[in-house]
Order: sequence, then C-alpha cells, then structure tokens
Amino acid sequence: MLNAEYPSKSPQNPSEKQPETTENGPKNENLFSPRFRSVAAMAGWDEEALLIASLIVEDTPDRQFKHKKRSDLQSFRTPPTNSRRKRKAQRRSTPSIPVAVLDLDEDDPKPKQESENIHKESKTDTTGEVEKDRGDDGVNSNGVSSSSAAIPCIDRLREELSCAICLEICYEPSTTSCGHSFCKVCLRSAADKCGKKCPKCRQLISNGRYCTVNTVLWNTIQLLFPQEVEARKGAAVSASDKQQPLQGTPARTRSHSSRNRAVEALNSRESESRGAERRIHSSRNRAVEALNSPESESRGVERRSHRARSRVSRPSGGDAGIRTALPSQNEDAALALRLQREEFMEAFRVPEQQRRSSFAVARANLRAMASRAMNIRIRGRKD
Amino acid sequence: MSSSSMMMMMAAGGGGGGGGRGGGGGGGRSWPSTTSVSASGKRIQKEMTELSMDPPPDCSAGPKGDNLYHWVATLFGPPGTPYEGGIFFLDITFPSDYPFKPPKVVFKTRIYHCNVDSAGNVSLDILKDGWSPALTISKVLVALRSIFTNPDAYKPLVPGIAHLYLADRSKHDELAAEWTLRFAR
Repeated sequence: MLNAEYPSKSPQNPSEKQPETTENGPKNENLFSPRFRSVAAMAGWDEEALLIASLIVEDTPDRQFKHKKRSDLQSFRTPPTNSRRKRKAQRRSTPSIPVAVLDLDEDDPKPKQESENIHKESKTDTTGEVEKDRGDDGVNSNGVSSSSAAIPCIDRLREELSCAICLEICYEPSTTSCGHSFCKVCLRSAADKCGKKCPKCRQLISNGRYCTVNTVLWNTIQLLFPQEVEARKGAAVSASDKQQPLQGTPARTRSHSSRNRAVEALNSRESESRGAERRIHSSRNRAVEALNSPESESRGVERRSHRARSRVSRPSGGDAGIRTALPSQNEDAALALRLQREEFMEAFRVPEQQRRSSFAVARANLRAMASRAMNIRIRGRKD
Repeated sequence: MSSSSMMMMMAAGGGGGGGGRGGGGGGGRSWPSTTSVSASGKRIQKEMTELSMDPPPDCSAGPKGDNLYHWVATLFGPPGTPYEGGIFFLDITFPSDYPFKPPKVVFKTRIYHCNVDSAGNVSLDILKDGWSPALTISKVLVALRSIFTNPDAYKPLVPGIAHLYLADRSKHDELAAEWTLRFAR
C-alpha cells in the first residue's frame, strides 16, 4: 500500500541499486548494501518490510543513523512538517489513505496521550515554531525536531531524564550507588561543595564511583533529546574556550572538570569529522591525541595569542623550559580546541600552496605541545 | 509578568552571577563570565518558570526587581492554624553558587513562631545543614508552610515561644493569632 507513494523502491528494477541513480534514493541506499539488497530480493522481501524491520530491530545507539531513517520515512510520505498539529491536520484531511503504518511513534495506541494532547498542544506548538525556524539549515535538525515532537509523553520523559541539580536534561549522566542519576559535572560539584551524599536521598556516595557515565542512560538521552545535548555540548566547548584567557588563577579543581569536558568534546568532534584520519591510537593519553589531530592546520599558528607564540619559538625538544613553565592543562585543551577550529575554517579558505609553507612549523609546534602534555601526565602520576 | 521585565531580569542576572562561579572556585576573577550565569542563573530561571506554571498551594514567589538572585515570596497562613488569614512576606536571596548552597530566607512579616526570630530568621534544617542541591524553592516553600502547621519546638529559635507552645498550647495559639491579626493583614 505504500507503493503508490514510494514507487521507485521496488526490488524488481536492479538499475536503482546503485547509489546516486535516483534523486531521493541515495539516502536510503546507504542503509542496505547492494549485495544484501539482491539477496533480499531473491528471498522475496520487499524494501518497506526491510526498512520497517530495521527500524524495529534497531538497538544500537547510533544517533545519526536513526535520524536519517526517520526523516527519510517522513519525507516520502509527506513533506516534513514540524508541528504536531499540522501533521495531525494533514492526516485528518486525507482519510482515504489508510497508511500510517510507518508512523511508529505517533500511532502508538496510548489512551493517555489523547488526554494529554489537549494541554500539550500549545506547548508543542510553540516549540514546533521555534524548531521550524531553526530547522531550515538541514535534514538532520529537521529529523531531530520531528522525532522529539513525535514521541508520546515526551514531557514526562523530559522530567524523568533531567538532572535534579541543574534541572536540565542530564548531560553525561552518572548514577550513584543508590540509583539516582545526575549530570556528571553537577554530581561532582555537589560532592565537592555539599559533601559526598546523594542530593536526592542523602545516602553516602562511594568514593570515585560518581565519576563514571551511565552509558545506557546517556545513549538514551542522546537519542531522545539530541538538540538539548548538542546545545550543552556547544556550551561546554565555548565555556572552555572562554576560560582560555584565565592564566594565573589557581583554579585547579574547577578547571579540571571543564578541561575533561573540553577534551571529550574535542575528541567526539574529531571522531565525527575525521575519525578515519587519526594517526595516533594511544587510548592512554587523550590529550595528546586531541593535540595531534590538527596536524594540517596552517594559519592558526600566526593568529594565536602572544603566549602561545612564545612557545612556538621554543625548540621542539626543549624539555627544560617546559619543566619550568608548566602551563595549565586547561589552557592546553582550550588551545587545541582553537587550533582545530581554525583548521576547520581555514580548510575552506586557504589554497593548497599557502598551506604547505607553514605546515612544518605547525607540525613542530604541535609535537612540542604533545610532548609537554605527556610530561604533565607523567608528572601528575608521580605526584 | 511582562516579557520586557523578564528580559531585564535576565540581563541583571548576568551581572549578579559574575562573581559567583569565581567564589566557588577560588576567587580572584573579576570579569563577567557567561558560564556562571549558565550555572546558577539558568537554574533560577528554570525554577521561576516552573513556579509560574505549577505553583505550590497558597504560595507565590518571584524576583523582587530586576535582580534574578533576589526574590520575594508570599505565604498564606494555612487554615486551621493560628496563622490563618495572614499573608507573610519573605525575602529570598540566592547565593551565587546557588544550587550547591542554600538560599537565604528571611521573614519580612513579623510572626509569633518559635522557629522564626524577631529579625525574621528561620531555623529550618533544609535551609542550613540539611540543604541538598536537588531541593528547589517550591520545596522550600512547602517546608515553610509545614512549620506553620507543625512548629518544631524542640529546635527553637525563640525558646520562650517554644516553651509556651509545649506548656500551654491554647495560650500560644491565642498569641500567635493576635500577632497574625496585627502584623500579617
């Protein structure tokens, strides 16, 4: 019954198996390999069945993948709209089409949802408006907004999955031994400032346990609230960027956590964009990894702050100078972040020739930074 | 509350939060940091919207002026107590590292209560050692309301009133009702 709206996807014509042959095809083509496709065709499975099955079976927390599929599913039904009311209206206006099979999220027969709808309507509508304004910049955000609007009782979920300390969606939730979850950063500062008790039930928190991220919960949150997570990730990055000018203040304990977040954000970003290009695979020293990644950066060197420039002039193996200076790790992370950002920007602007000229300088400089970071690590371990 | 006044509050909250994070992490920072606003200011804003959407019974609270960290709250004396019919105003001051340190609550209306002294200071466990960052202003207001109905005479701030409360309850109630009539209406 979907074939009427989705005619190009039948297993009979193998010419469409190649990516780039159809206009709306390529996104879907990525989901299944051509070989799998032909086998499926032989077995007599049609495409929609495979798509639906893959949606249902899916249990890996690969966020982007899922959104792609979701937005695809919506795109071949109707042009994607963000507000739930609109979508409902559309469905009502075309009652002759009994499709709605693919709409796994909305057609979940939940009686509670109906009653909630009325008072939710206004809320989702406004958020839908906001998201529509934002949603122009890509398919991904479009899929995001529609997914967060489509899931029933999203408000309850939001309440459940938010951190009692910052009252926002948990960012990197870590769970206490008593079973309560908070943002890792919130929980850590609560333990630092208010004693090692669970903020919810006041049970003692076992030492160090609260530093681990509850991965299942974190993946769930990333799936359900990608926008909020992205927003906070951005906030974390910009916060660490802002902290860069802070040099002399002895804010060690605080900068530690933000530094970790910055490095993590760096790493995740790196793995998204250029994970294949990674050269050093030492899982032991993530800071070094982050520092080494922007090896191809070019003009960032000239633009860096005065302090950093003095470092450039230093010989790459100058261990003695490094020992005496010992700049804060926080600064390193922030610097690495800036380098990477500038690299991204330059990648679109600078012609290849200019790039080569400063390549060697940048490389030497980054090696120096990496070795210093190693030194700091070793030092910290000795102490 | 108009949206323009909200905007002003937000702007002022930024200034108020400037020293905040620095106080938590060693001090010595003078520039206004945006991160500090996001820590305490954001949370206070969240609480504000939550309070306006779903206020606890017989309570109200909100920023006093354009400073997000300075609130005023009102409590209605619960029926069945000697404080019935009274409207009690409170000042709430949020510390800059707010969710991790308790807010300061002071009664602006005089009240005859063994847990509230003549300056308006309240002895409430959750506002001192019992504070937890998971508590919110609405929970604090509910707790304050509960000491109207059940004064904690065993941890009093004004021992005389507590003594009277334990020894001669009706006399205590009479006096409390008289004070309510005189100051809280």
